[in-house]
Amino acid sequence: MGLLQGASELFPVSSLGHAVLVPSLLHWRFKQSDPSFLPFLVLLHIGTATALLILYRDQWVAIIRGFFTAAIRGRMDNDTERLAMLLLVGTIPAAILGVLLESRIKTLFASPYEAAGFLVVNGVLMLGFESLRRRAERRAALAAGSRTEQEAHFASAERISFLAAAIVGACQALAFLPGISRSGVTIGGGLLAGLRHEEAARFSFLLATPVILGAGIVEVPSLFSSGVPIAEYLAAAVLSGIAAYASARFLLRYFRSGRLDPYGWYCIAAGLLSLALLTLKA
Amino acid sequence: MKSTPLAYGFLLVGLICVVAAVLYAIGALQLFTSGPGNHYKHAILLGVLAVASFIAFNFARPRTV
Repeated sequence: MGLLQGASELFPVSSLGHAVLVPSLLHWRFKQSDPSFLPFLVLLHIGTATALLILYRDQWVAIIRGFFTAAIRGRMDNDTERLAMLLLVGTIPAAILGVLLESRIKTLFASPYEAAGFLVVNGVLMLGFESLRRRAERRAALAAGSRTEQEAHFASAERISFLAAAIVGACQALAFLPGISRSGVTIGGGLLAGLRHEEAARFSFLLATPVILGAGIVEVPSLFSSGVPIAEYLAAAVLSGIAAYASARFLLRYFRSGRLDPYGWYCIAAGLLSLALLTLKA
Repeated sequence: MKSTPLAYGFLLVGLICVVAAVLYAIGALQLFTSGPGNHYKHAILLGVLAVASFIAFNFARPRTV
């Protein structure tokens, strides 16, 4: 489960959807309706967030320093301070929705049918984001150029507007629905805001870290009070972190020239196949 | 590019968070909670979000100077 979550978390294919679907399809002895299921998933997510902190350790040190410097000074003097404030603006919408909807979200985990349905929706979203991006490339007369030339036309994460950062951040709330990928919608949002694929992925990964860690701080204490095998769960979190680190390295390299389309088609196929298998099993 | 509506949106969100945090802390607000009582976890989180929103307001608003 840890490997599955870590490997699928940063890919735009919804780790939560897979975490709900795979145990149901393979008859694993997880009960998604169990009160410890969400805290367990959050513990796995902390493994992922730790991997991201390690991957971007130098940037996070600069971002945190930049945040406090800019907050105390009252203005932004460089790109790092601007990125820190963009991440703050992007984190607030998802954090508010997470706080308010936490108890309702838990009820959604009971149904693998919903996860499979949302996985199909996620796939359609990925294809839609890329379709809009291709339109932007055509408008900029980049269609005939190489992928490197096309990507060079678009911006880095520090250049995104505050409004776009807030919208991309709000998109993270969609990922509370099992089957909708947080990294998918934020990378897609970043593409619509005019970022390069690699920069959209970097912004998505940076944006994920505070939300995941925040959710962990809230949820993990309830895990320790519910009498579950903590050592096993921690081992799963470590595996999740290792898989997430490898995934992030792969994706950053992939998005130098790759697109979201393959993941979109995968989500549609996996969602439809899961729906068919669940229906046959019922 | 900075945005005035976005900035004042954050200001409004910050003020709402402050009010909601107080109401959750004294147990007057039960919306989105598991049951009746004082909800200090909600109050603390909303307090943190209020501070974050006020900082975001400061940086998202266009400056004339």
